Amino acid sequence: MSVAQAEATEVALEAPSGLWRDAWYRLIRNPGAIVGLLFVLVFVVAAIFAPLLATHDPVEQNLLLIANGCCPGPSAEHYFGVDLLGRDLFTRILYGARYSLLIGIVSVAIGLSIGLVLGAIAGYVGGFVDSAIMRVMDVMLAIPGLLLAIGIVAALGPGLRNVMIAVGLANVPIFARLLRGSVLAQREADFVLAARSVGIKRPQILFSHIIPNSISPVIVQGTLAMATAIIDVAGLGFLGIGLEDPDETPEWGSMLTEVNEYLQVAPFLALIPGTAIVISVLGFNLIGDGLREALDPKLRGR
Amino acid sequence: MLRFVVRRLLLLVPILVGLSILVFVWVRALPGSPADSLLGERTTPALVKEYEERFGLDEPVYVQYWKYVQTTAHFDFGVSVASHRPVTTEIKERFPATIELALAAMILAVGLGVPLGFLAAKRHGGIFDHGSLFVSLIGISIPVFFLAILLKYLFAVRLGWLPSVGRIDVTSEVKHPTNLYVLDAILTRDWKTLVDVLKHLILPAVALGSIPLAIVARITRAAVLDVQNEDYVRTARAKGLPPATVDRRHILRNALLPISTIIGLQTGLLLSGAILTETVFAFPGMGQWLREAIFNRDYPVLQGGILFLALVFVFVNLLVDISYAIINPRIRYS
Repeated sequence: MSVAQAEATEVALEAPSGLWRDAWYRLIRNPGAIVGLLFVLVFVVAAIFAPLLATHDPVEQNLLLIANGCCPGPSAEHYFGVDLLGRDLFTRILYGARYSLLIGIVSVAIGLSIGLVLGAIAGYVGGFVDSAIMRVMDVMLAIPGLLLAIGIVAALGPGLRNVMIAVGLANVPIFARLLRGSVLAQREADFVLAARSVGIKRPQILFSHIIPNSISPVIVQGTLAMATAIIDVAGLGFLGIGLEDPDETPEWGSMLTEVNEYLQVAPFLALIPGTAIVISVLGFNLIGDGLREALDPKLRGR
Repeated sequence: MLRFVVRRLLLLVPILVGLSILVFVWVRALPGSPADSLLGERTTPALVKEYEERFGLDEPVYVQYWKYVQTTAHFDFGVSVASHRPVTTEIKERFPATIELALAAMILAVGLGVPLGFLAAKRHGGIFDHGSLFVSLIGISIPVFFLAILLKYLFAVRLGWLPSVGRIDVTSEVKHPTNLYVLDAILTRDWKTLVDVLKHLILPAVALGSIPLAIVARITRAAVLDVQNEDYVRTARAKGLPPATVDRRHILRNALLPISTIIGLQTGLLLSGAILTETVFAFPGMGQWLREAIFNRDYPVLQGGILFLALVFVFVNLLVDISYAIINPRIRYS
């Protein structure tokens, strides 16, 4: 075998490298990100397999269990104890994961898609369109997120779909600003100039050259937005607005509403749902931080 | 400098116009007619008629909008459906409580966050650095209302050190010229009340301030790490300035620039967080008031309250931008 051949085999044996593959290897070597992935995995498994893992019915009340005062704590029968109406807390936590995950994913998808389109158009077209879009975003940013979501739910009425819309819309300006900034930074880049000089049309330059190169901060922000969305949903639930039937629905935030009065006798009723929220949020935050470092190694340790 | 302030004020105009349109459209998107939603369910045809005339609800939309802008510009947000009192009067009573809470939280966040971030950066890579990163990560991952419940459970219910609800002892009878209780107690030299008010303030302020604290600490750490390697810092060290002087004059002063912007942005988070914190501690501020308004479908209160808080947020950011330009001359000429 000649030297050239040997070199060729060596190159072929090496894993093809690319931004995403490299980023993935860096990500799985980051202990924080691994912990984050584990947390999110637990959260997702709980959400998807809730009916299989659950030991009881999430809404079935059993007032006999609380006949001797509130509330029996964790036991072999009820892993996390029972709540004020004798419902199994473990089961309700599992089902609660479904609400958080579903609302989180859909609302981030709403915020991300609308925000990306608006931000990309604003950044690439510029001029009047840019000013118009960004002034609207400024107005949306002027209303603190939770208040905006409250206003939207008040107008649309409570319900799962409307909560997703409310939390999602509150995210739109964040993504729009992010993408606009990154498009502006790349609009004059050499590869865009090159694409333009060989006659590629503007929309195609935007979608196949500029957006793919702007996507990594968006992914990081998307992960962090998942974390914020879970907190926002829980906040709305805690205030008792949002879902149609806050007493019945096993949603983590709303589980914390009433137990505020029972801290003396049954602190676990607050601690367990709260911990569930913290773990899922922490998971996404850890992954987000890990991704940020993985996609931009310059930031390591910052 | 004046040019910068004028330009910044002009930028405010589209935001205010947009905000008013948004709230105007919002009231019309509420279920039922605007008169119905602004007057509540128990109303009389005569009242509805009066409202329709006052806001010109039978006139074209642009006339309605103009009338709305006029009344709002006079800070007339209508009358609360639940209490039948003017929304503005209620804001005057409620807002000082929220200001007090938000200010206390902010003082805590900046007062602890900056030194913590600075120390973490100075000991970059050490145990303290990793520890503070970890704590700040938990800080941004914990919902403010859960933290509030935890603090309440630990310090009020379990240990009984601090009161768990309210803003002041219910039996205390003190005059409140400003409704800022801390200031009132100092003005009337009523030290017993001051202690009582501060005791009521600690838990809500810690709960509300801990998330901004985590963020301020993170930003400070990153900013200090950046500034530390600048040429002028090396020059300062090379010419033999004492390390403490370099830290104070050259590093911290420049690192504080990004932190001041963060403070403006955090105001929004503080206002959102106040709604949740006040709910946990039954703290009689804007947040608790808005929450009740949601349940009573008290749309005049929601409309006035949301608009008012948005205005506060916009103006705090204006002040931050202007002060930023004062401390950072580079911004003024850009």
